[in-house]
Amino acid sequence: MRLIVNGAAHDVSAPDHETLLVTLRERLDLTGTKLVCARGECGACTVLIDGEAVYSCLTLTAACEGQTVTTIEGVARGDTLHPLQRAFIDHDALQCGFCTPGQVLTALALLAKNPHPTEEAVRQGMSGNLCRCGAYPKIVRAVLAAAGDGPAHG
Amino acid sequence: MAERSGKRFVTTKVEVEGREETKVVELPSRDPEPWRDDAPLTVVGCRVPRMDALEKVTGSARYTADVRRPGMLYAALFRAPVASGRVTLLDLSPALAIPGVRGALTAADVHGIRIDGVHLFDIAIHYAGQPLAAVCADSLDVAERACRAIVCEIETAAHVVTAERALEPDAPRARSFGNRARNSPRVVSRGDVDAGLRDADAVVTKEFRTPVALHTALEPHGAVAEWSGGRVTIWESTQGIFMTRNEVAKALGLRLSMVRVIKNYMGGGFGAKNGASHATYTAVALSRKLGRPVRCVLDRDGEQRDAGNRPATIQRVTLAAKRDGTLTAIRAETIVAMGIGGWHSSAAKIYHELYRCANVHTAETWVFMNTSAMASFRAPGHVEGAFGLERAMDMLAVELRIDPLELRRRNYADHDQEKGRPYSAKHLDECYRQGAERFGWHESRERAPGSGRLRRGSGMASLIWGAGGGPPAYATVRINRDGSIEVLTGAQDLGTGARTVFSQIAAEVLGARIDDVRTILGDTERLPFASNSWGSITTASVGPAVRVAAEEARDSLFEAASQMLDADVGELVARDSEIRVRDNDRSITFAALCDRLGDVMIIGQGSRGPNPDNTAIAAFGAQFAEVEVDTETGHVRVLRIVSAHDSGRIINPTLAESQLEGGIIQGLGYALHEERVLDKRLGVQLNANMHDYKIPTMADIPVIDAFFVRGSDTVANHTGAKGLAEPPIIATAPAIANAVAHALGREVSEIPLTPWRLLSR
Repeated sequence: MRLIVNGAAHDVSAPDHETLLVTLRERLDLTGTKLVCARGECGACTVLIDGEAVYSCLTLTAACEGQTVTTIEGVARGDTLHPLQRAFIDHDALQCGFCTPGQVLTALALLAKNPHPTEEAVRQGMSGNLCRCGAYPKIVRAVLAAAGDGPAHG
Repeated sequence: MAERSGKRFVTTKVEVEGREETKVVELPSRDPEPWRDDAPLTVVGCRVPRMDALEKVTGSARYTADVRRPGMLYAALFRAPVASGRVTLLDLSPALAIPGVRGALTAADVHGIRIDGVHLFDIAIHYAGQPLAAVCADSLDVAERACRAIVCEIETAAHVVTAERALEPDAPRARSFGNRARNSPRVVSRGDVDAGLRDADAVVTKEFRTPVALHTALEPHGAVAEWSGGRVTIWESTQGIFMTRNEVAKALGLRLSMVRVIKNYMGGGFGAKNGASHATYTAVALSRKLGRPVRCVLDRDGEQRDAGNRPATIQRVTLAAKRDGTLTAIRAETIVAMGIGGWHSSAAKIYHELYRCANVHTAETWVFMNTSAMASFRAPGHVEGAFGLERAMDMLAVELRIDPLELRRRNYADHDQEKGRPYSAKHLDECYRQGAERFGWHESRERAPGSGRLRRGSGMASLIWGAGGGPPAYATVRINRDGSIEVLTGAQDLGTGARTVFSQIAAEVLGARIDDVRTILGDTERLPFASNSWGSITTASVGPAVRVAAEEARDSLFEAASQMLDADVGELVARDSEIRVRDNDRSITFAALCDRLGDVMIIGQGSRGPNPDNTAIAAFGAQFAEVEVDTETGHVRVLRIVSAHDSGRIINPTLAESQLEGGIIQGLGYALHEERVLDKRLGVQLNANMHDYKIPTMADIPVIDAFFVRGSDTVANHTGAKGLAEPPIIATAPAIANAVAHALGREVSEIPLTPWRLLSR
């Protein structure tokens, strides 16, 4: 089957029960997508499929035929970081960095739907992405900063 | 900067994770003047962005679980489903018959390897989740399927999984010699507690309980091992590359030079990743047996069941005081429920340290049970002990009708009473003052909690943590021919910021641009020794060694420059990677200078000197919390936390504040949600996943104002910096619990403060 990941087409022959997470990590060596809980509890494996944030640990590769997958490796344009990535660095919105790819992709999807979220919308919208280091306050700040004009009110 | 003469090797004391160790140390080549508060520093103290953030936000950082070697196989562990018993049949043949399965390990393959007192793959079952075998296959999927195909028959035996039951005379024995650790109870006392109780105007007594908490690092324990020419290379998610190397070499009878341990990035440690683990030995043994690289990374279930935990405690506490609040006696009987093994982390220690009191008596008992072994977990012992002590202090404050903060101030310890020695520096009073002011403590306490469904309350707690670091630690600084600079030291960056902090120290000394400096960590074969990154010691241990190495390199660089610029060394100053002659316009960049030197490499070596004699070194802090309790649902919402810290000089305020916030958030989870839940009848854990074991989410986070009070600790070491990663978690649970008690007007004695605990009274 054909999988389009970060703009490149890949022909993969994954068994029917293989998850997108395993295909990305083990077949395509895109290891930015992390395996943490393997059951949709932590958000570390989040990728975008046709712009929607999904848990790749709960997504079967076989169901992704012809769809467009974006992983953390596809967020920057060459050496130019996405403003959200830049904001994560500027606000120190990470410590160990293991949850960071999932956080960035969830935030990307959130901002695509709601370009000027309130702080509350960010907190609720990203509460499915766990961070054990506790970078949460700075992640919120980074996402709001990347949203550009700052949070909408009311 | 005098050259040392006389003795080269001396002994010194280093406190790690609450344990004081005596170490032999080689005196460094030089002993720089300490950086005092008024030192004109331009890079140290700056908010330099985290230097490995780019790799982390782009997904290019390779963690251990991401390492892939040509021909690599995948291992999975088969675990005991019961808490006690004996394997009577272990048939691996159905597993080995599955296509793609390449081999397996049982006890016979790993003879003599023990972890926490248990033989690896022991057929005697000591706790549920204990590994019994490992299987290796072409893919993880096949390896896991093969594990499920193993046929295992077990003769079960009686088990014990609570400390109280374990201490009863007729309890099943978790360890052959009994359930009580041999040194228990360990009694530590000073003064005369009975006299202190007689002299008291007020006495409070209460039993406190704390839960088993799980580290829940996002990256599980894991290793990739590859043998070549009789040597093994191990990529490991570890806080201690040298400890892992030493343990593997010892277990396998190898020379240290035959074992190489590498750690580039790791997805959290929090104390649980301090040496060779089940995953390490499994990868190493399977790789040797099969002649191919092997990756063994625990699955989430295994990580939550058997990868270390903060042990549960029971603390029976009595505090006594005069009418004016002066403490006259502190007594605590503490029980630490270790599980099958671990080490003697002490909940009692903080009772001797935090407040001034002439009469203190603690008796501590460590208990073995049929549960997985405890491990260090961010400020081990102090987190547990602080809950009991600081809750009891608030009960005493109620009894005496004294403001809780005022009560703590009246019992301020101006020296280390346990050993009768001064502190290198202590600014806890400043933490109280600034913290109370930023929190609005007095206004907040005076506000009535309310009588409706939602009640508000405020609470606070103090902390102390021996975070002085110490030797040995080594660093090398080298300057390449283009002027780029490398700092090499065998420490680890857990996500704490060590790479950034060491680069800042080197840049400061050399007068280099921070962007010109790169710190290389985590490789036993290529780097000089640094200790485990535990006990909040890395900055205070390794930082001074980096400073000395950079000074040596700078001296060589200046000597070369003095010839090229025709000036005395004393006339030279460096800034932004350029050396200038003072009062003169002659200058040369590092790049131009080093290019002229060609492949003559400027190299500086540094080491960490001894700690000052007869001096206690500690970090301090005070935390203030405001909560809202829903009296109908029992839900506690933390509204805000103010946390004031004294950790000496702060090398990078941004990264340091990130550590504080992270510690507070972990402490919030410990206070409100986190506990390992066991089926006591079966002795099996019920919440070995990330949904039912509840760590805080982004929606749970209060407004956090965490900051440092000023004060370089120039007695502690010549950088003035002390540790700061563990301190913030110590005070959070008691501050929150004290706020809940204030809101409800009744005492709380057990965490986590889940709704059923708050309502079932």
